Amino acid sequence: MTFWKIAALNVAVAISATAAWAETEITLWHAMGGQLGETVNKIAEDFNAAQDDYKITPVFKGSYEETLTAGIAAFRAGEQPNIMQVFDAGAATVIGAKGATIPVQDLLTENGVDFDINDYISGVRYFYADSDGKMIGMPFNSSSPIMYFNVDALEKAGVSAPKTWEEFQSVTAPALKDAGYIALAQSHLPWIFTENFMSRHDLPFATNNNGYDGAEGTEILVNNDAIKAHFTALTEWKENGLFEWYGTGWGDNQQPFEDGDVAIWLGSSGSFGGLMSKDLGFEFSATVLPYWEAVTTEPKQTFIGGASLFAMSGHDAEENEAAAKFFEYLTSPEVQYFWHQETGYVPITEAAYALAKEDGHYDRFPAAEVGIQQLSLPGGENTKGYRMGFYVQIRDVMNREYGRILSGETSVEDAFANIEKEANDLLARFAKTQG
Amino acid sequence: MADLTQSSTLQTSVSTPLRPRIKLRHVVDHAILIAGAFLMLFPVVLVLMTTSFEDADIVKHGLQLGFEGKMLENFEAAMFEASGFTKTITGTRMLMNSMILGLGFAIGKIVISMMAAYAIVYFRLRFATLAFWIIFTTLLLPLEVRILPSYEAIQSLGLANTYTGLIVPLIASATGTFFFRQFFRSIPEELVEAARIDGAGPVKFFIDIIIPLSRTMIAAIFIIMFVYGWNQYLWPTLITTDEGMFTLVRGIKQIVQVLSQTGAMIPEYGKALALSLIAMIPPVLIVIFFQSWFVKGLTESDK
Amino acid sequence: MKRAGFTTVWLPVALLLPQLLIIAIFFYWPAAWAVQSSFYLQDPFGFGSTFVGFENYTDLLQNVEYAKVARFTVIYTVLVTFFSLALALLLAVKADAVIRGAKTYRTLLMWVYAIAPPVAGFLGLMFFDQRNGPLTEMFQFFGWDFRLGADFNSTATAMVIVAVWKQIPVNFIFFLSGLQSIPKSVREAALIDNRSATGRFWDVTFPLLAPTAFFLLIINITYSLFDTFGIVDTLVRSEPGNNPVTLVYKVFVDGFRGNDLGGSSAQSVILMILVLVLTIFQFRLIERRIHYT
Repeated sequence: MTFWKIAALNVAVAISATAAWAETEITLWHAMGGQLGETVNKIAEDFNAAQDDYKITPVFKGSYEETLTAGIAAFRAGEQPNIMQVFDAGAATVIGAKGATIPVQDLLTENGVDFDINDYISGVRYFYADSDGKMIGMPFNSSSPIMYFNVDALEKAGVSAPKTWEEFQSVTAPALKDAGYIALAQSHLPWIFTENFMSRHDLPFATNNNGYDGAEGTEILVNNDAIKAHFTALTEWKENGLFEWYGTGWGDNQQPFEDGDVAIWLGSSGSFGGLMSKDLGFEFSATVLPYWEAVTTEPKQTFIGGASLFAMSGHDAEENEAAAKFFEYLTSPEVQYFWHQETGYVPITEAAYALAKEDGHYDRFPAAEVGIQQLSLPGGENTKGYRMGFYVQIRDVMNREYGRILSGETSVEDAFANIEKEANDLLARFAKTQG
Repeated sequence: MADLTQSSTLQTSVSTPLRPRIKLRHVVDHAILIAGAFLMLFPVVLVLMTTSFEDADIVKHGLQLGFEGKMLENFEAAMFEASGFTKTITGTRMLMNSMILGLGFAIGKIVISMMAAYAIVYFRLRFATLAFWIIFTTLLLPLEVRILPSYEAIQSLGLANTYTGLIVPLIASATGTFFFRQFFRSIPEELVEAARIDGAGPVKFFIDIIIPLSRTMIAAIFIIMFVYGWNQYLWPTLITTDEGMFTLVRGIKQIVQVLSQTGAMIPEYGKALALSLIAMIPPVLIVIFFQSWFVKGLTESDK
Repeated sequence: MKRAGFTTVWLPVALLLPQLLIIAIFFYWPAAWAVQSSFYLQDPFGFGSTFVGFENYTDLLQNVEYAKVARFTVIYTVLVTFFSLALALLLAVKADAVIRGAKTYRTLLMWVYAIAPPVAGFLGLMFFDQRNGPLTEMFQFFGWDFRLGADFNSTATAMVIVAVWKQIPVNFIFFLSGLQSIPKSVREAALIDNRSATGRFWDVTFPLLAPTAFFLLIINITYSLFDTFGIVDTLVRSEPGNNPVTLVYKVFVDGFRGNDLGGSSAQSVILMILVLVLTIFQFRLIERRIHYT
């Protein structure tokens, strides 16, 4: 109830403020549905209540894909919002269209907001930056794939969470199987077992510096032995009842973990809030993603997932100033900590991370820290991110081929050859759209 | 009843010993029809039953047989509980939007196509044939095929998230015009002659003669177009991104999205199923109650 | 035109204008736009674009996956058309034969017409749910490890079943009205000539229904190709993965999910040509029909 009182008060304040001042109004288009959307709403209300000069209106535009398409279409019609949320896979499209956005770093410095890229935690720093390291999009809801496990199940089987895939294969999984569990499931094969497989093992994902140096001539490097060995292992695990795949849908793979059928589930650090709020009937915890010792002995950090906020161009100076002030507010430690607590997305600045630690958040919920710990692991040459055009379609191709591997329709070898070919065709086509 | 006695006397007269077999045939006929009716009806009945259960039960066990006490609550939530990010979208709001789309589309289509068909059939116009073909060509391309540029057109006219943008592009096809043209041509020519001798102008003729004559046809077309408009999915999905503009059918997409990404809460299956039933009720009722018009319209307009 | 008509000029023009205007803006302009952009590769935001000639088309025609989608669309269309026509014909013949309760049967068998495809798809999601869908359990009982969303054939089966369920009513209505328009004298003559009911059906009734059936064939093909979009979209939950999709759905996925305007437009144009062929076929059919009746 208190929440509603506060919200009502905020609205009242906002309304009276409108009457008193000529505010600069800006809009934010986002893809945060349900509870996440309510949290965005709360942040916006608080921002509006905290000052009298600017007013932001968040608008929910559907899924990530729908939001991006709506924003693009609006831009073509000259009706673009001030700020648009764009997910990881759409980054290349937006950043490639120079002139569609104002680099967030420029926006902030031009409007008198202090900006130092080193304030941001290392894992999120460069994902939405250009090849010179200038930040273009503001990392907003940043997550990382982590390993959740059923503590009761692992205890019953007498094992601990695996550090490496070798350990999983030889020790953890067989024990869990004997204890009556399906050992492993995951919810997003391109994200967890491709993109982050590359960064975890510090493997190059694309030519041209993972695509950051330009769309021209960028080719995907997905057809390599390490990842093929991984998918071969997956098919073997699946045959032996150690791994199960329930289709491309995220929820279809999460549900069996919640039901207690699957002992280890790879999901998003952003899933934490949701899992906490449910009465699961068992204790769960989380840790960093395993790696293959055969590939590397020094596992690295992972890429961020989730999405970032882009300031769209074509608005007047006052509105840009308002957008800059909103970004300033959004990245303040308090707001970041609030966002982190409510949703499970990682805090994006070192200061917010420190605040969360100081407040004892991770003493209360140790698993909440896993995402940011994993993002703060040592980086390598290939861990700052990737930039590939038509990446939404490339992910669709991956999903299709991986599904075929796991439903026995194709071989690992053929699937990766296919992905490589189709992805490179798409990349070449994308390069031409930039001409 | 009269038919029954007649046909049975006919059959007995053909061969009396066959009587028991004829009865068996009737049993088989009815069995097949009952099975068919059951297949049509049962899925929806099962969904209706399921809306009376707790969400947690539905999540665990799926569709349910039997009745529990939650039905009213679920329907109430579906109708009145504000959901979505903006808290503007309720079942009633979506119902209203669907109504506007269904009615606006049906009425708009009838008015515009009647006018055009009247012009083509009853006037001596040099370019009447040309106009007819310009309109008729649109039968070639369903909206699904030209969806991307249509979206672009709506966007550049600034009509996204408006009722105009929702309704008008759907009217851009010739089905109605074609139908009314056929119908007008079946109206006896003497009527026009008589009207002209009486000195009635084209407007008076249209209002006094054509509209009353077309009444049944208008009703039939109205039902078909209302159902068609109400059930539109792809276009509303693209053109309405503001929740306040969602139609019921568009809302289903949102539901499926939320249900498939197990988020923070227990998915509200009861409410979602209730909403899907609400989305069916108005068009289904119209089709059932105006059955004979509807059948007439369907079988005659498509010919 | 030999019809008598009014000679006013401004009035018919005014009457035609709204329709022509709407068609120009929402039909001819978009169609032209699609044709034009199918020759370009363009940045979705509209900054850059490259003229590529027929490359979008040649890319598509060489793409193995596009061929697979096309093949699935054909198989899907054949299955949906066949089953919905066959079942509807069976039901219509029976509904025509019975006297008691004929009206009730008619109502019960046609009301599903009014259900929107995505709503039908949503019911399908519940019935074919991986964990607890009643039909999933039925398939599993018969030894098929049915898994919607994970297995291509499972999803394809679900799509066909839902699409057929949704389409039976239309076919039923047409067949029934076709049957009822067969003159009583013809039926009675057949009754005397041919004792076996099955024989009567194939020798007399079916040929008389053939024009209706041909016409329905076109209706059903169009339905399977275009109107099942909502069913496909709900059953794959907007994430195709390794699940089957139809050609129309691919236009949508590539254009609206992937923002590949050129590729998607080229697909639209290919579909336009397909519909053109179908429509010409349909016209000839209608002409023949009119000629015979």
